[in-house]
Amino acid sequence: MRAPILVPTVLRNLVRKPATNLFPKTEPVPVPENFRGQLKYNVDKCVGCRMCVTVCPAGVFVYLPDIRKVALWTGRCVYCAQCVDVCPTGALQMSDEFLLASYDNYDDKFIPLKEEKIEEIRKKLEEQKKAKEKAKAEKAKAEKKA
Amino acid sequence: MDVMGSIVYPIAGLLGLYGFVSLASLLWEGIDRKLVARMQRRVGPPLIQPFYDFLKLMSKETIVPNTANYMFRAAPVLALATAIALLAYTPMGFTPILASKGDVIVFIYLLALISFFKIVGAISSGSPYAKIGAAREATIMVSREPAMMLAIFAIMWRLGKLGVDKPFSMGIFYQHNIWEIGTPMSFVGAIILLYVFCVWLASEIEVGFFNIPDAEEEIAEGLLVEYSGRYLALLKLTKALKAYIAASLVVAIFFPWGIAGHLTGLSADVVNLLFHTLKVFILLFVVGSVFRAVTGRLKITQAVDFLWKNVFLASLVGSLLLAMEVIM
Repeated sequence: MRAPILVPTVLRNLVRKPATNLFPKTEPVPVPENFRGQLKYNVDKCVGCRMCVTVCPAGVFVYLPDIRKVALWTGRCVYCAQCVDVCPTGALQMSDEFLLASYDNYDDKFIPLKEEKIEEIRKKLEEQKKAKEKAKAEKAKAEKKA
Repeated sequence: MDVMGSIVYPIAGLLGLYGFVSLASLLWEGIDRKLVARMQRRVGPPLIQPFYDFLKLMSKETIVPNTANYMFRAAPVLALATAIALLAYTPMGFTPILASKGDVIVFIYLLALISFFKIVGAISSGSPYAKIGAAREATIMVSREPAMMLAIFAIMWRLGKLGVDKPFSMGIFYQHNIWEIGTPMSFVGAIILLYVFCVWLASEIEVGFFNIPDAEEEIAEGLLVEYSGRYLALLKLTKALKAYIAASLVVAIFFPWGIAGHLTGLSADVVNLLFHTLKVFILLFVVGSVFRAVTGRLKITQAVDFLWKNVFLASLVGSLLLAMEVIM
């Protein structure tokens, strides 16, 4: 019978404080530095180089050629941070957020670049293009006159 | 015929006891879970968690397997009914409600019958896992009872020699107790029998070494594998009642002293019942919680070996020591 050797340990534990973190009542255990939490995407910094599409093992990214950005769905992310390492402009960053439970796979928090935003960028690009063409045309006219 | 005295009061007493013991035994389960959690440096569930569990199980959908026959539905009800009937014969700080000459047999019989109904319910479910659990329960049941029976009969016979009005009744522990015999040999015998009864209690409530029939990790919950909803709630309640009753027996044999003092009648009974409950909780803490926290389970063969070669022998020796000066 080897069992009794545990009795003092167990009885000592009984009067000690529990070694647990009562999460919903307290803050969660703090995350370490360089913790790989949810992926954050900065659209303005993105230059559309497609490195993240190449390197991602989980197929999070879809390249949008007309606006030269990427659409992403982090519901599929495996938190390897390879896209962060490879991104030349720092548009992709890991955050500290890890409480990501959701009732919906396609929740807004999993889709950083939304449909409306894409439309907006597309319109903006078209306007820029039109403005450019207009400018070109005017320039050509002016050259003709001259 | 005295209708009030022989029918109404016993029924009222039994109902009162049933209400009290249900609450106390479920509360003990909550305390037990809390204490074991603290022993493992966890916080544990709230004390009234077993009540929540019970209500939740009662409100859940009850699924009956296609392969089950009618005993699957009847067994949990019969097991609980047996446990309630057993309360009328359990010494709980005062002489049991229906105590009479020779009712120790009824007590042992009803206590074994609870396990028997559990076994019948399990083998009626048609699940092979439940059948393995039932076979183990039956094996351990026939191994643990002889040691207890030998010891309790020896004690009752010895106490009967001191002069009691109802020999072999569950009430005699409150007239004479095992420590009153007074000879050194009987004292040693009583200590040995205390060991026997503690092991018996652990195997009766299936903790520590003896958590074999419901081995969750090996045979998928064993006996209870097919039970769900209301039936599972009834079986859990039965288990809690049985733990309280079995511990009550040990407390009544070895620590029957009350604190009622000069109180009489109902108030004395209530005080004694509360004090008895405290003693039951302390005994269950030692035999249940600590034992559960410090050991794993044995294999079924090891448990049978242990119960026959160690506990039954100890029971034999203890009984002989207790009976020595009468025999010689």
